[in-house]
Amino acid sequence: MSKTAKIIVILLAGIWLLITLYPFIFMLQTSMKTNMEYFTTSVWAFPENISLDNYLTAMNSGFIRFYLNSLFVTITSLVIIIISASMAAYMIAKIDFKLSNSVFSFFLAGMMIPIHITLIPVYRMTQTMGLYDKLTGLIGPYVAFSLPISIFILTGFIAEIPRELEEAAYIDGANIFQIFTKIIFPLIKPAVSTVAIYNLVLLWNEFIYALVLISNPDKWNLTLGLWNFQGQYGTNVPMVMTGVMLSVLPLLLFYIFLQEKVIKGMTAGAVKG
Amino acid sequence: MKKSLSLVVTVSMFLVILLSVSAIAQEEIVLWDITTEAESELPVIQNAIARFEADNPEYTIRHVPTSNDDYKTKLQVAMGANNEPDIFMSWGGGPLKEYVDAGKVMDMTKALKQDDWIERFVPAGLEIARFDGNYYAVPITGMRAVLMFYRTDIFEEVGVEIPETYEDFKDVIVQLKDAGYIPLSLANKNRWTGSMYYMYLVDRIGGKEAFLNAANRNGGSFASEAFVRAGEVIQELVDLGAFPPGVNGLDEDQGQSRQLLYADRAAMYLMGDWAYGLIKNENPAMLENFSFFRFPVFEDGKGDPSNLVGSPGGNMYSVAKSSEHQEAAIEFLKYLSDETAAKQLVDLGNLAPFRGVEEYLDDPFMIDIYNALNNANYVQLYYDQYLPPQIAQAHLDTIQGLFGKTMTPEEAAQMVEEEAQKYFNEQ
Amino acid sequence: MQKVSKLTIFLFLLPALLIFSLYMVAPIPLSAFYSFFRWKGFGERVFVGLSNWVELIGDGIFHKALFNNFKLVFLSLFGQLPIALALAILLAKKTRITDILKTIYFVPLLMSSVAVATLWSNIYDPNFGLLNMFLQTIGFENLFIDYLGNPKLALYSVIVAINWRYIPFYMILFLAAIKNIPDELYEASRVDGASKWENFRYITLPLLRPTIINASVLSLVGSLKFFDIVYVLTGGGPNNASELMATYMYKNAFNSLRMGYGSTIALALFIIAFTFSIIFMKVTKKGAK
Repeated sequence: MSKTAKIIVILLAGIWLLITLYPFIFMLQTSMKTNMEYFTTSVWAFPENISLDNYLTAMNSGFIRFYLNSLFVTITSLVIIIISASMAAYMIAKIDFKLSNSVFSFFLAGMMIPIHITLIPVYRMTQTMGLYDKLTGLIGPYVAFSLPISIFILTGFIAEIPRELEEAAYIDGANIFQIFTKIIFPLIKPAVSTVAIYNLVLLWNEFIYALVLISNPDKWNLTLGLWNFQGQYGTNVPMVMTGVMLSVLPLLLFYIFLQEKVIKGMTAGAVKG
Repeated sequence: MKKSLSLVVTVSMFLVILLSVSAIAQEEIVLWDITTEAESELPVIQNAIARFEADNPEYTIRHVPTSNDDYKTKLQVAMGANNEPDIFMSWGGGPLKEYVDAGKVMDMTKALKQDDWIERFVPAGLEIARFDGNYYAVPITGMRAVLMFYRTDIFEEVGVEIPETYEDFKDVIVQLKDAGYIPLSLANKNRWTGSMYYMYLVDRIGGKEAFLNAANRNGGSFASEAFVRAGEVIQELVDLGAFPPGVNGLDEDQGQSRQLLYADRAAMYLMGDWAYGLIKNENPAMLENFSFFRFPVFEDGKGDPSNLVGSPGGNMYSVAKSSEHQEAAIEFLKYLSDETAAKQLVDLGNLAPFRGVEEYLDDPFMIDIYNALNNANYVQLYYDQYLPPQIAQAHLDTIQGLFGKTMTPEEAAQMVEEEAQKYFNEQ
Repeated sequence: MQKVSKLTIFLFLLPALLIFSLYMVAPIPLSAFYSFFRWKGFGERVFVGLSNWVELIGDGIFHKALFNNFKLVFLSLFGQLPIALALAILLAKKTRITDILKTIYFVPLLMSSVAVATLWSNIYDPNFGLLNMFLQTIGFENLFIDYLGNPKLALYSVIVAINWRYIPFYMILFLAAIKNIPDELYEASRVDGASKWENFRYITLPLLRPTIINASVLSLVGSLKFFDIVYVLTGGGPNNASELMATYMYKNAFNSLRMGYGSTIALALFIIAFTFSIIFMKVTKKGAK
C-alpha cells in the first residue's frame, strides 16, 4: 500500500477513534461531577475535583441488587438463546425438510414486529403463566424477541459451512447430534460470539419489558434502577451518567473476554477443510 | 413424662407455625406513583407508610415508584390487562376521567364525606378529580403555579422594570434583546413548556371561559378568537427574537433552558414553581438573583389578572375499583394527608393541597406562591391534564409548529378543534 | 446426505419454536384484530370496521413517517455498512493495536438509549453543544446550526446518531465473516502477486457477499421499525419532522389512547417490513445465481 494511502487510513482510523472514544470520556467525566458543577460550568469541562461520590451514592441505592438481577436474567436468556437458536438454524440451513422455508419465514416475520405492540399480549401471557413481577418472567419475552435475529444470523453462517465436513463425519459414523456439537458448533464460534454480544448488549439495556412486567423495586434491573436519578421536573444528569457507566463497564469486560476466547478457539486447531 | 413433653413440643410447634403463618398472611396493598429517589417528597410517602403499617400490622404496603413518563405507559398497560394496583397516582383531569369512564376507579365520595375527611383538602384540588358530581382522587402533593421567573440583576443592569401589560412586556423584551440577552429562556422539545405560554395567553385574552367552553363543549371552540390570537402573539414574540435559538430542539429534562440562565445568557423563564427547587439544587449561589412576577395582562383582554396556570391538586391518589383492600387503602390515604404529612411536605418545600397548610409556611418564597394561589380566582389546570389525552396530544403537537412557525395560528387552532370534534363525536 | 428423521428435526426446532410461538405469535393477529376497533388500551372496544385503515391511508403524518423511514433505510444502509466493512477489514489482522481499537470502536453499541440521547442532545445543543462550539473555535461563528430544532435537519441529525451507534454491530458481524475466509486463499494470491486492493475485490468481497446481504436485511428491517433514539432525542419532532412509523404508533397507542389506530399503524409497519425484506432477499438471491 502506498505511503499516502497508509496515512489516509491512519488518519481515518484516528478520527473514528476520536468519535467513538470521546463520548465515553464525556460520560465518564460527567459522572464525576456534582449536579451543581454540571449546571454552573461548561458541560464539556473536565471536573474540577474528580469525585467518586456519585458512584458511592449509586452503590448505596441498591445498585448491587440491580446488577445481580440484570445478570441473572441476561445470562440465563443468553444461554437459552444461543442453544435454541443454533439448533434451529442448523436445521434450517443444512437440512432440506419440507417446511424449512416456512419455518425460516416464520422466524423472519418475528424480526418485523415492533416491540410496543407486543406489550399487552405479553403482559397477559406472563400474568396467565403466573410469572408477573418475577425475574424469570422476563426470560421468556427476552428469548422470544431475540430469537429471530439470532436465527437469521446463525443460519447465514451455518449455510457457509462446506457440506463435505458433515458428510465425512457421517461416514465416520457420527449421528446428527454429534455432528452438531462436534463439527458445526465449533465452526460457528465467531458467529455465535457475535450473536451473544449483540443480544447481551440488547438485553442488558432492555427497558420496556422490564418496565411493564416488573413491579417490585427489589426486582429492578439496571435500566429501571436508573430511575432513581430521574425526577418529574429535572434530571440529575451526573447521576444518570454514573448509572450508565456502572452499567456499561461489565459489558465492556464481557466483550473483551469473549473476544479473547473466540480468538483462542479459532487458532486452536479448528478444522479448516 | 415423655408423653407430656412431646405434647408440649407439639403444641408449641403448632403455635409457632400458626403465628408465623398469620405473620406471613399479611395483606399487601400495592401503591404505584412517581416518587422515585429523585423526588423530594419520597420521605413523606415512606413515613406515611411506616406509620400506617405500625398502626395496622395486618397490612403491608408495597411502594412501586416509576419515573414520570414511563409511569403513564406502565399504568396503562396494567389497566389494559386488568391488573391495576390497589392505589395509583395521577394528575387528575382528562386522563383520570378515562380510567373512571372505563370503570377502573373507586368512587371516593362516600369515604370523603365520612368524618368530614373532605374538609381536609383544598376544594379546588378535589375539583380536578370530580366527575359527574363524584370524587375519584385526593390531592396529596404540590399545589403548583406557573410563574415568570426572572434575573433581578440582569433587569437592573439593563434598566427594565417588571412589565404589567403585554405592551410593557414587549418593550422589556426588545430592551433585553438589544442588550444582548435572550429575553425568554425556553426548551420546547418537550412541548408542554411552550404550552405554558399558550395557556396563559388564551386565559389573558379570552378569560377562563374561552378554554372551559371549548373543553366542555359548551358552545365554545378551540378555533375561536382567543386561541388564534394566542398563536399570533407567540409568533409575534418569535419574530422579536424573544426565544433562544433552536428552541424546538432544546430539552427541558436536561435543563438546557436553565443552563442559559446560569450562563448569564437569558433573563426570564416561564415555569412552574418547582423551578425554585431546581435552581436551589443546581445553582444555589445564583438563587438570590431570582424573583418572579405574574404573567402580563392584555389591556383589551377578558382574562382575570389574578388567574394562574398550574395545578391546584398536584399529584393525586386514587383507589382502584378492583382492589380487594379498598377500606384499608382509604385509611392509608388518610395518613398521607394528615397533619404530620402536611408539615413534612411543607418542610420539604412542597405546598401541600391541604387546608390550613399556610400556618406552617415560613419560607418567604413559598408564602408568595401560596398567596398567589390563594388570591387567584381561577387556576387553569394544564391543558394536557385537563383534556382527554387524544385532544391533549393534538394540542401539544401544535406547540412546536407555532414556535417554529411551521404552522399558522389558524391551522394550529383548527387542528385542535377538529381533534376535539372527532373525539367527542366518538363518545 | 443422510436422512434425518422428522422427529430429530422437530426436536432441534422445538425449543426455539416453543418459546417464540408462545410470546410472539399472538401480537400480530391481535393487532390485526384491534385495528378494526376503537379502543383506549383498556375499557370497552367499539367495532369501527375499516375506518382506521381508511384513516391511515389518508394520514399525512403517516406518509411523512413512512418517507422518513425510507430515508433512514437508505442512509443507514449506505452510511453504516460501508464504514463497518472498512473498519472490519482494517481490524482483520490481529495485532496489539487492532485489539485495542476493536474494543474502543465497540463502545457506541454498549450504551443504552438514555445514554446515547443525553450524549447527542448535548453535542447538538445549539447554545453550548460540542458541534457549534467546534465551529466557533475554527472561526465559523455565524454558521450557527440548529440541529434538532430545525425541521429540515432534525431527521438527519438523528440519523447521524443512529449510524454512530450501530456501526460497531455490523463491524463485528463482518469481522466474524472475514475470520471464516481461509488464509490459504490470501497466501495463494500473494504468491501470484496480487495487490491488497485486488485481494479485497476478488477474494474478500465475493466471499462476504452472503454476509453483506444478511447485514443489509438486518439494516433494512431495523430501520423500518426503529424507535428508541429518535423518540428520546426529538420525540419525533419538531412537529413530526423526524417522525417514524414506530414513534407515531407509540404516540397513538399510548399517549393519545388510540390503541386501535396504533395497532393499525403497527400492522402496516409489519406488512411493509415483511414485504420489502422478502423482495430484497429474492432479488439478491437471483443475483447470486
